[in-house]
Amino acid sequence: MNGRITKLWRSMPLRLALLLVLLFSVVSLLSLYASYQVTRNSFEEAIRADLRQDLAGFRAAPNSGAVAALVRAESREADPNRLIISYIAPNGRIYGNGAISRDDEGFHIVSLNPDQAEFDGAYLSLTDALYGGLLTIARSRAEILALRDLFVNILLISLLPTVLIALSGGLILARRSKRHVEVVGAALDEMTTGNLAARVDIGPRWSDDLRQIGGKLNQMARAQEASVDALRQVSSDIAHDLKTPIQRVAVHLDDLDRSLTEGTPAAAMVDKAQAEIDGIASTFQSLLQLAQVEGGSAKGRFAPVDLSALCRTIVEVFEPTATEAGQTLELNAPDGPVTVPGDRTLLGQMLSNLIENALRHTPPGSDVTVTLGTEMGRNVLKVADTGPGIPVSERKKVLQRLYRLDRSRHTPGNGLGLSLVDAVAALHGASLRLDDNAPGLCVTVTFP
Amino acid sequence: MKLLVVEDDATTGTYIARGLREEGHVVDLVADGRAGLIAATGSTYDVLVVDRMLPEVDGLTLVKTLRGAGNGTPVLFLTAMGDVEDRISGLNAGADDYLTKPFAFGELSARVAALARRPQGIETEAVLRAGDLEMNLISRKVTRAGQDLDLLPREFALLEHLLRRKGRIQTRTMLLESVWDLSFDPQTNVVETHISRLRAKVDRPFETELIQTVRGAGYRIAA
Repeated sequence: MNGRITKLWRSMPLRLALLLVLLFSVVSLLSLYASYQVTRNSFEEAIRADLRQDLAGFRAAPNSGAVAALVRAESREADPNRLIISYIAPNGRIYGNGAISRDDEGFHIVSLNPDQAEFDGAYLSLTDALYGGLLTIARSRAEILALRDLFVNILLISLLPTVLIALSGGLILARRSKRHVEVVGAALDEMTTGNLAARVDIGPRWSDDLRQIGGKLNQMARAQEASVDALRQVSSDIAHDLKTPIQRVAVHLDDLDRSLTEGTPAAAMVDKAQAEIDGIASTFQSLLQLAQVEGGSAKGRFAPVDLSALCRTIVEVFEPTATEAGQTLELNAPDGPVTVPGDRTLLGQMLSNLIENALRHTPPGSDVTVTLGTEMGRNVLKVADTGPGIPVSERKKVLQRLYRLDRSRHTPGNGLGLSLVDAVAALHGASLRLDDNAPGLCVTVTFP
Repeated sequence: MKLLVVEDDATTGTYIARGLREEGHVVDLVADGRAGLIAATGSTYDVLVVDRMLPEVDGLTLVKTLRGAGNGTPVLFLTAMGDVEDRISGLNAGADDYLTKPFAFGELSARVAALARRPQGIETEAVLRAGDLEMNLISRKVTRAGQDLDLLPREFALLEHLLRRKGRIQTRTMLLESVWDLSFDPQTNVVETHISRLRAKVDRPFETELIQTVRGAGYRIAA
């Protein structure tokens, strides 16, 4: 779950959407704040102008008594929550609907009404000395405060839907593009694992750029498949064309061999030629077999195969070879049957090739161990040796047809053994891994 | 024996026919499937050697048609290199054995001989004998000149196989197929090693050699 969110977060459309939302919000906030400031200032200015006008009205009164009378009259009608008029006469009497007092905390407007001690809320006030007394007029700032709420509301109404729409739109786009990218990725994965027929299935609602990428990828895949097919066709044609001539050469050599007297130099030469023809035939046989295994038709005749018994037989078959070369060949397999669905001959050849490979490429005194066991509920076949191993950089390459390590160029073999192992493993849905046996090579075949 | 070789490649066909004739067999050679079918139904043969790829009627159809018509003549199927599928479909169609080209003539001859004698059956006695060698299949005891021989299971199986086919050559690949149950050649000397171990126990302490090596072909126990 967490991983999925992280993945989504990394997707381009979502990031773009978020960036736009952020930019849009910042600009909206700034402009709203500026208009709020301007409006508030003009409101305050208006209140101050009102206050000055009010004061001017009182100043028109001829004396303090008249001011007091005027204040009393006006304040009686005024709502103290909106307007407070207060006059401290020269004799100390307070007229009006409130009084200004001052303490440590600042100015307060105190009610003259005994029920109410103080008026809450903010006021703007103007005080002037008038006929020996002090006239104070205060107007509530409630309107200005209301302005703030108004602006917050405007903000919520205008910005929130935009942000929500942009966010969900981005999310939907991100998920969709993620799905599309996954389709492209899956096709690439398939091609990498050898299915050259895999194509990107471009949906009708894909964005143009992805459509282009998908199209180009398909174009590339088609070209690659065609060239691999052509190569396969050519090698297969060559192999088929050469089958009969090779066979005829073998026939002629055999004829010749039987007409010669044993022990003569000519007979020895024919023997050598026959050995070479056998080598050529076996390489061809391997190449053609490899193509057939890769074709996958053997899957149709899979039957239960006891790997345990097969391991015992093959190890026994190679025992004399190992002993002769001063190597040890050991088997660790359960006594009971270990059954997998498969082709017994091909699995036997796979194991033979692995053991033969291990024996051939390790010096005398090396140990070759064949292990059959289970790992996490899957049957695992391991052939490990204590020889020189295969460098990491070469491990993938040795599975290619006819590839041989530089140091193995002079040992017998046609470079097809491990390719066949790979193909047989793939046919059985098994995975093949080449690891360092420290020292040596450990080949692991993990059955499904 | 009277043999029919159905092979379209003249070089291979002539080679097989000549080799078999040199061994004293009567060989008819035809070059296409239809001629093969006509010949095989027209007269009685001991063994048919049939190539997989044939003009007119291919080898597979030929065998199927013969079997369909109730003709049970043993068939040795010849398949081209790499045609693993053909081998299996050939056996499924009713062929008795197969051989992949190119093959050594000795291999072909040994397999033809093995097929021809199959109808007469192999030894089914509980005690197999060759000279003064005795193998009791029930007690799994082997004695020679009254002396007990201590054989490992695989050596026992190998000796039993040779004794059952007394006098007939068994090639390496035939032994790998029946004693080790391997239908491919792992290119090891396991057969030679086991034969020599067997000889060390069965032949070396005694005067006559029972297990014979036939150069370029295989092994057999003298009849």
